[in-house]
Amino acid sequence: MNVSIRMIGIATTVFWIFVVIFAVSAMYSVKDLRFEFGEPQASVTSEGKMLLSMPITIVNTGYYNIRNFNVTTLIFDAENMPIVQGSTSVPIIQKGREITTSHNITFSIADLLQKSERYLFEDVALRAEERIGLWAAEVIPVEARANISLPWGAPLYNFALGTPQYSAYNRTHMRAEIPISFENHAFFDLACNVGVRMFDDSSRLLGAGATSVEALQHSAYDGSLTMYVPVPTSDTSMTSGYFEVNFASSLFSFGPMVIHYG
Amino acid sequence: MVKAGNNSKSFAKTVAVKAVKAAAKGAIFYLAYLVAWTFISPLSDLVPGLQQTIEAFVMVYFVLIIVGEFASGSIFQYFFSAAKILFVIGYMMYTLNGGVFGITIENVSLMVDLRLFMLIAVVLGLLGLAKTMLQAVSYMSEKAEPKLV
Repeated sequence: MNVSIRMIGIATTVFWIFVVIFAVSAMYSVKDLRFEFGEPQASVTSEGKMLLSMPITIVNTGYYNIRNFNVTTLIFDAENMPIVQGSTSVPIIQKGREITTSHNITFSIADLLQKSERYLFEDVALRAEERIGLWAAEVIPVEARANISLPWGAPLYNFALGTPQYSAYNRTHMRAEIPISFENHAFFDLACNVGVRMFDDSSRLLGAGATSVEALQHSAYDGSLTMYVPVPTSDTSMTSGYFEVNFASSLFSFGPMVIHYG
Repeated sequence: MVKAGNNSKSFAKTVAVKAVKAAAKGAIFYLAYLVAWTFISPLSDLVPGLQQTIEAFVMVYFVLIIVGEFASGSIFQYFFSAAKILFVIGYMMYTLNGGVFGITIENVSLMVDLRLFMLIAVVLGLLGLAKTMLQAVSYMSEKAEPKLV
């Protein structure tokens, strides 16, 4: 009996030493793990989707490999509904190695607009949840979560059509100049076609016109659109009515949006 | 009179030997703690209360080592040995929150899943407990055996 007791004692002692050394060295290794997140870059894919790309550098100078490194970004709207999700995985990061990967999030602005048109015209505070998961020393799952506020800049912020300025064109028609103004608060440059149809109070179509607008990110746009409208008669009035505005770009199309005038 | 003097001398010698043994074991344990702490200390900035938690563990374990050593040669050493093992298992489960350890620093929440590590530690602890029980049974059976004249 004494021999078996001694054997159990030796075995447990050896295993305890192994477990303690492993735990301590694994904890120490965490200190030598470094993550560097680069500046996110925005671009447009060939399918007309927005691509947000963030370079991530992982430096593992610890004693153990890291397995299943995963970064997930979830973006929620103001109502806390998920609108965008992107995930990046690295199966293994060897000890003493440095790995640079790119965390990509692709989303369609058209899909975003289906949820709400306010993303086009209003700046909205979104919530982003970053999840970083990894298996330290290949066996200890670790997960870190962070909530950050993500400001969404509207590409057509404060979009407005001004009062039409009329000038003579011919006997039957007049030239109408309609001022267009907005601010591009988005993180991408905007190039889109704006189509405007002008109606009077009795919903009679007076004229239509289109123009292409271009605005660099974080810049304001001031321009005008020209259309030809019939000279008013006794039964037509152009003092008040409404515009129907349509937007079309490689990233989204939206409309008609009704803006009253007069 | 001479016999009583010899007995007290022998008792003092036994206690002295136990004290030396206890001091040696305590010193080795404390040395191991100091070495381990040099590796763990960088994490104390990240995990609030880590140092206090480990120090409390080390203190109680240290006391149990000393007391257990003084109780050696009696049945009580096995009680203290069992207490030591149960303390390790209990303290680990309590501080590691059942194996899933989580902390929140500013707006970053960190979760470490130590269930596998804890399972191994608990199994080793239970193995140690079984060994202590066998030792206690062996000790009692040796005591109960009639001595040959």
